[in-house]
Amino acid sequence: MNPQRLRQRAAITAAIRRWFDAHGYLEVHTPTLVDCPALEEHLEPVQVGHQFLHTSPEFAMKRVLAAGLCRIYQIVPCFREEEEGDHHAREFSMLEWYRAGAGTPEIMEEVESLIAAAARAIGVEPPHFVRQTVDELRKSAGLPETVDEVEWFRGWITHVEPHLSRPTIVYNYPLWQAAMATERNGHADRFEVYLSGIEIANCFAEEGDHAVLRQRFNASKDYRRSAKKTPHPTDEKLLSSTPFMPRSAGIALGLDRLVMALTGETDIAQVQIR
Amino acid sequence: MGRTYQTSDFRNGLKVELDNGPYVMVYFQFVKPGKGTAFTRTKLKHMLSGNVIERTYRTGESLAAADIEEQTMQYLYNDGDDYHFMNEETYDQVAIPAKSIEGEANFLVENDKVDVLYYKGNPVNITLPNFIESEVVYCEPGVRGNTAQGATKPATLACGATVNVPLFIDQGETLKIDTRTKEYVSRVQK
Repeated sequence: MNPQRLRQRAAITAAIRRWFDAHGYLEVHTPTLVDCPALEEHLEPVQVGHQFLHTSPEFAMKRVLAAGLCRIYQIVPCFREEEEGDHHAREFSMLEWYRAGAGTPEIMEEVESLIAAAARAIGVEPPHFVRQTVDELRKSAGLPETVDEVEWFRGWITHVEPHLSRPTIVYNYPLWQAAMATERNGHADRFEVYLSGIEIANCFAEEGDHAVLRQRFNASKDYRRSAKKTPHPTDEKLLSSTPFMPRSAGIALGLDRLVMALTGETDIAQVQIR
Repeated sequence: MGRTYQTSDFRNGLKVELDNGPYVMVYFQFVKPGKGTAFTRTKLKHMLSGNVIERTYRTGESLAAADIEEQTMQYLYNDGDDYHFMNEETYDQVAIPAKSIEGEANFLVENDKVDVLYYKGNPVNITLPNFIESEVVYCEPGVRGNTAQGATKPATLACGATVNVPLFIDQGETLKIDTRTKEYVSRVQK
């Protein structure tokens, strides 16, 4: 822990709350202890008895959207097993927000505006983002197209990500990386935000078709069974609420990483209290 | 099969074997994309050529340990083609071709202790001590009282290296040199 970083973190957090107030967002608190920890097959939840600590507040926040609240956000600790490193911690803070009636373009504007407000709060020049598609970045790095998941990520992590020195919004992901995003023009309608070469946020235009979501839960289960891992249970409460969910988009932003990127910190432990 | 290292064993200084020789790990970082499996991103430096490459390993993949051994030995002499070293306990001597240690040879001072690197049983490279002391055998005459910051001149040392030194240094003086930066550190009072 670095006291200077903790002061900057507090200033950034306060600016974030002011930004959401000014933009008509309601702060919500969803449970940390959940029955269904995730959809993504590569996320390992922390188990507590027969339940789990959430890996993100995503499922519960979508049920809040379905219940009729249109602009919601929260800052909450999340937990992911087997994640430790300079940019990873088992416990970290997630900032998530969801907006009814919005698509990815509106959330791109919002995340840029929010990060600018956070930067100004600690006297840092707001970053100017460039927007690039996954395919543009892949081609300029000389990487072949592949659907082999391991080779795709190995190429991305080795030849694309470390060289994203400019603040970048990456969009149009391959469909097989859709997770809970909807499809648009043959791509997953989602984007990620990179600052200082670190992935700090992920946004989905939310898939609202519960049959599609059920298929994805099943595919994730198949994958985990074949990898000899416990399958994540399907969130039936979420699926039964999706018929009432408006068209919407939502984004999850790693608060610790945002603080790191804006302050130039390279070790996540310095922006946390350990 | 020799021993292997898992991604969880990765650390700086790890010596591993790839297709074209031994590498030392100089950087590693855990990376877990939100939608993908976990990887460790590394930078590996070739232990003979010094070339640095970037490689990314998936959690669970492993690397073979390099057949590398280091022995502290005393530098004896060179005969023009080879540099000769001696193990001070066993008195065993080895010769390393001059071209293998081009970057280091000019900083070898007789009787200094160096680490000799063995790869698959053969001596292939050396690690110099961090500091050496060597006499100036040639430089322009010293300028007394001139301690101007930054002003330097070249000086040739008995060990063979030429380094930039402050203007007040004279021929015949002994200097302390940092072999990592190949820069002048100070005068040594004999």
